Amino acid sequence: MLAPLHARQWDLQKAAHLLNRAGFGGTPDEIKAFCDMGFDQAVNLVLGGPDDSAQFPKPEWAVPQNLLEMRQQMMMLAPDAKKQAQQQVQKQYRQEDIDLVNWWLQRMRYSPNPFREKMTLFWHGHFATSVEKVHDSYLMWQQNELLRQRAFGNFGLMVKAVSRDPAMMIWLDTRESKIGHPNENFAREVMELFTLGIGNYTENDVQQAARAFTGYRLDPRDETFRYAPFQHDNTDKTFLGQTGPFSGDDILDIILQQPACAAFITRKIWTFYAYDEPDPGLVNALAANFRESGYEIRPLMDTIFRSAEFYSPDSVRTQIKSPVQFVVQTSKLLETPLARPQIALNSLREMGQVPFAPPNVKGWDGGRAWITTSTLLYRYNLANFALGTGPLQVVRPRQLADTGKGAGPANAFQVQNYQPPDLNKVIPAQVRSDPNRLIAYLCFRLYQDPLTPHDTETFIKYVTDHGPNPSDTTLRELLHLMMSTPEYQLT
Amino acid sequence: MSDDDDHIIEPHTSTLHTRREFLRTSMLGAAVSFSVPVFLQKTFFTLDAMAADSAIQTATGKDSPILVVLQLAGGNDGMNTVIPYADDNYYKARPVIGIPRQQVITLNDRVGLNPGLVGLKGLFDQGNLAILQGVGYPNPNRSHFRSTEIWQTASDANIVESYGWLGRYFDSCCKGADPTVGVAIGNQIPQSFASLDPTGVSFSRPEQYRWINGDHSGSSESVYREMNEPIMDPATLDENDGGSVDSLPGATAVNRHESTLEFLQRTALDAQMSSDKVLAIAKKYPASVSYPHTALGDSLSLVGRMIAGGLATRVFYVSQGGYDTHINQVATHARLMGELNDALVAFSQDLTAQGNFGRVMLMTFSEFGRRVNQNASNGTDHGAAAPMFAMGGGIKAGLHGQYPSLEALNEGDLAYNVDFRSVYATILDRWLRAPSKEVLGRQFPLMNLV
Repeated sequence: MLAPLHARQWDLQKAAHLLNRAGFGGTPDEIKAFCDMGFDQAVNLVLGGPDDSAQFPKPEWAVPQNLLEMRQQMMMLAPDAKKQAQQQVQKQYRQEDIDLVNWWLQRMRYSPNPFREKMTLFWHGHFATSVEKVHDSYLMWQQNELLRQRAFGNFGLMVKAVSRDPAMMIWLDTRESKIGHPNENFAREVMELFTLGIGNYTENDVQQAARAFTGYRLDPRDETFRYAPFQHDNTDKTFLGQTGPFSGDDILDIILQQPACAAFITRKIWTFYAYDEPDPGLVNALAANFRESGYEIRPLMDTIFRSAEFYSPDSVRTQIKSPVQFVVQTSKLLETPLARPQIALNSLREMGQVPFAPPNVKGWDGGRAWITTSTLLYRYNLANFALGTGPLQVVRPRQLADTGKGAGPANAFQVQNYQPPDLNKVIPAQVRSDPNRLIAYLCFRLYQDPLTPHDTETFIKYVTDHGPNPSDTTLRELLHLMMSTPEYQLT
Repeated sequence: MSDDDDHIIEPHTSTLHTRREFLRTSMLGAAVSFSVPVFLQKTFFTLDAMAADSAIQTATGKDSPILVVLQLAGGNDGMNTVIPYADDNYYKARPVIGIPRQQVITLNDRVGLNPGLVGLKGLFDQGNLAILQGVGYPNPNRSHFRSTEIWQTASDANIVESYGWLGRYFDSCCKGADPTVGVAIGNQIPQSFASLDPTGVSFSRPEQYRWINGDHSGSSESVYREMNEPIMDPATLDENDGGSVDSLPGATAVNRHESTLEFLQRTALDAQMSSDKVLAIAKKYPASVSYPHTALGDSLSLVGRMIAGGLATRVFYVSQGGYDTHINQVATHARLMGELNDALVAFSQDLTAQGNFGRVMLMTFSEFGRRVNQNASNGTDHGAAAPMFAMGGGIKAGLHGQYPSLEALNEGDLAYNVDFRSVYATILDRWLRAPSKEVLGRQFPLMNLV
C-alpha cells in the first residue's frame, strides 16, 4: 500500500502536486525546475530545505517583557493615566497581532524553504492556540518558533515542549493549576486533541492527569516557564492502567506508549497532506513505523512523500485549499505581493482561517468545512481584488468574538488593490494571441490540470468574442472568471 | 422594481429557475445528457424516488412556520441564567458568583431570571416565552466538541452520527427545495444542517453576497451566470436515453457520495441562486426596528429582514459565542445575558411589527450547562443539564419541566429531567409539522410547548 513511487513516474503533474501540498505551490517555471531536479532530489529538498532564519529575523517587538514591573508601574498611575496606559498597551498588542500574521504570511510566501512553513502550519492547527485568549504576541511568536524548529523533529519531545510552552500554559490554564485545585483543561485536551483522540481514555484519566500537570508556573519577570514543586501534586495517580507519583512528563510518556497515539497523529498528517478518510490499513502501516522510530517526524514525511499513494488520483487535486493556502498560493501564481497586512488578515477572517487565532483548541476543521456559499463567493471576490479588477469590501473586525461587539455596516469600507499582477509575467507573449494555447497555459498556471472540454470551450469562446488581440482588461477578466470556479478552489 | 437595479431578480417573480423548479420541469421522462454534472443527475434519481411518496413533501411556501435556532456557544451557565434563588444550596455552591437574591427577577417562589434578562421577563409575562428547565441527555459528555456534536446531530452520547437533526429534517421534508430552506448567518454551516442531500446557505452581509467583477460590459457576468446556472435545454436531452428511471444505474442509490469537485459545483450553484434573492430582499426590506449593535443583534436583524422579504426559509441558524466562563465569570456572563436580552427583545418587536411573530419560533441551546460549584478562579467548569428558551407568538409560554435538584447531583452536575430530543421532537412534530420519529430515529415524548 505504501509502495514508493517509481522515479520514472515523476512528471510535471506530480511535481506540481508535491509543490502544492508540501508547500504553497509555484509558477509554471518553478514547477518545471522542481520537476527537472528529479524525484529523489525534490523530496530531499522538501525535507531538508535551507535554513531561512537570517532572511526572516524575528519581529522587533518579539522580546520578553517584565510583566511584574509593568503591573507595578501601572498600579502607581492615577486612574485616568492608568486607563490611558492600558488602552495604549491594547492598541500596541493589536498592531503586533497584525504584524505577526503578516510576518508569517511573508515567510510562507517568500521563504526558499516553504515546506517547513507548511509543516509548521500543520502543527499550529494541531496544537491550536489563540492569541484571543493568550493576549501576548511575543508568546504566540515564541510558540510558532518552537513548532517551526521542531516541525520535522521528534513528536514526543515536541509534546513535552508544548506542555511547558507559555502560550499553551495560558491558553489551557495550566499556569492556574495547583495541588488541591487541579485544572482539567490541558489534561483533557492533550489527550483528546493532541495525542490520543476521544475514546482512548476515561474521565478518571483526565482527572488523574490534571493532578500531574500541577505546579507549572509562568515567571512574570521574563515570561518563562518555572516549575513550582510546592504547588505540584506528587502523590500517586492511576493513569491508563499504571500507578505512580507521576509528573506531567511521565503522563506524556505513558500516552506515547499507547498505539492509539501514533495512529491519531499519522491519520491527521495524512489527511492534511494527502486526502480525507485514509484506509485504516494505510494508517496502521504508517503508525507502526512512526512508533517504532520513536516518533521521528522526518522519516514519516519521507515515506509519505515518496509513496505512490500520495500521487494517486485519490490525492491529486482532491483537496480544498485552506484560506492560508489560497492567499499564499494566489500571490505566488499571480506573481504579486501579498495584500497589505490589515487586508490580508481581514480576508483570512472572512474565509475562516486567521493564523494565531483558531476558532478553538480543536483547530480548523478544514476540508469541505472551508466552503459555504458565503466563503465561496468571498473567494471569487478576493480573486477579483487580487487581479486589480475590483474593490474588496473590508469590515473593521469585530472585537474579539467573545465580546460580541458588533461592527455594523458603517464600519465597512472598500479598498482597491494598487499592486495588481503584471500580465506580461503571468501570460507569456507567445500564447497571448492564440486562444487555445492561452487557455491551456492558464489552466496549467492556475490549476496545474486541464479543465473539462466544455469549460475549456466556454473560456476560449470568451476570449474569441473579444476579438483577435485580447486587451489587458479582457485578460484580467478572463483570469477572474477562471479563478471564480470550483476548480480553482482545489489543489 | 426600479430601472436602475434591473440586474436584480425579484424574489417572487424570478425569471431564474430555482433548483426545485429546474429539477421538476426537467426531470420527467428524460435522462440526463452527458454534460450535466453528476451531482445533478443523482438529484434527479433522488427526487424521482421521493416523488413516489409525495406525502413526505412539505410545502415551503411563504406562510409556513419558521424556526430560528440560536446557539449559545461555549456552554452557558444555566444556573445563573434561570436561578434557583430559593434554594440555599445554590448560594452554598456559589458563594462569590451566585446572583444575590434581591437582584434575581423572580418568576415564581423558587426560580427567577438573571437580572440582565429583564426584557425576557416581559416576554414571559406576555405569554411569548417558554423556559424549558433541566434539559440534557443521558451520560453527558463534557467535551465542548463532542457535546456540541451530540446536540447538533441528536444522537445518543455513545453514537457518532454524521447528519444533523435539521439536515435530516431537510432530507425528510424539503427534498428538492430551494437551497435557502436552511440559512446560517455567518460564514459557516452548522453541523446540524449536515444532510444526505446537502442543503443550506450561509451569509452575513447581503451586499457582499454576490459575484463582483470589474467588467461593466456585462459579458463576464453572463459567462459567470452561464457557468453557474445549469438550466437544461430540453433540446439537448436525448430522448432515446430516457425510459424507466428504475432501469438506470444509481436510480435506487439515494445515498450520495459527492466528490469534492461536485460538492464545490453544487455550492457554487446554491450561492448563485440564493445571492440574487438575498440581495433583492435586503434592498427592499430594511430593518423595521432598531437592533443593538452587537454581533447577535446584527444576525437577528438580518434574519428579521429575510423573514419580512419572504425568503423561503424554514430554519435560520444564528449563534452567540463567549459562554466558556472558566475564570472570573460574573462580569462576562452579565454582559452576555444583556446582549442576549436586548437582541431577543428587538427581534420580537421586529417580528411583531411585521405581523410574523406568530409563525416564528426561536429556540436557544448550549452544548452543556456548567458545574454547580464555582471553581477556584471564580468561574465554572463544564457541566451538564441546563435550561433552554423558546420564544414566539405561537408557543405555550411559561415554565416547563422541573428544575433539577441541587442535592441529587450527577458527578457534581445537574441531572437532566427532559431529554433535549423531546424538545426537538416537539418542534418537529408540532411546529414544523415533520415526522419526528422518522427524523430522530425514534419517538421521543412530546412536550406541551406548541
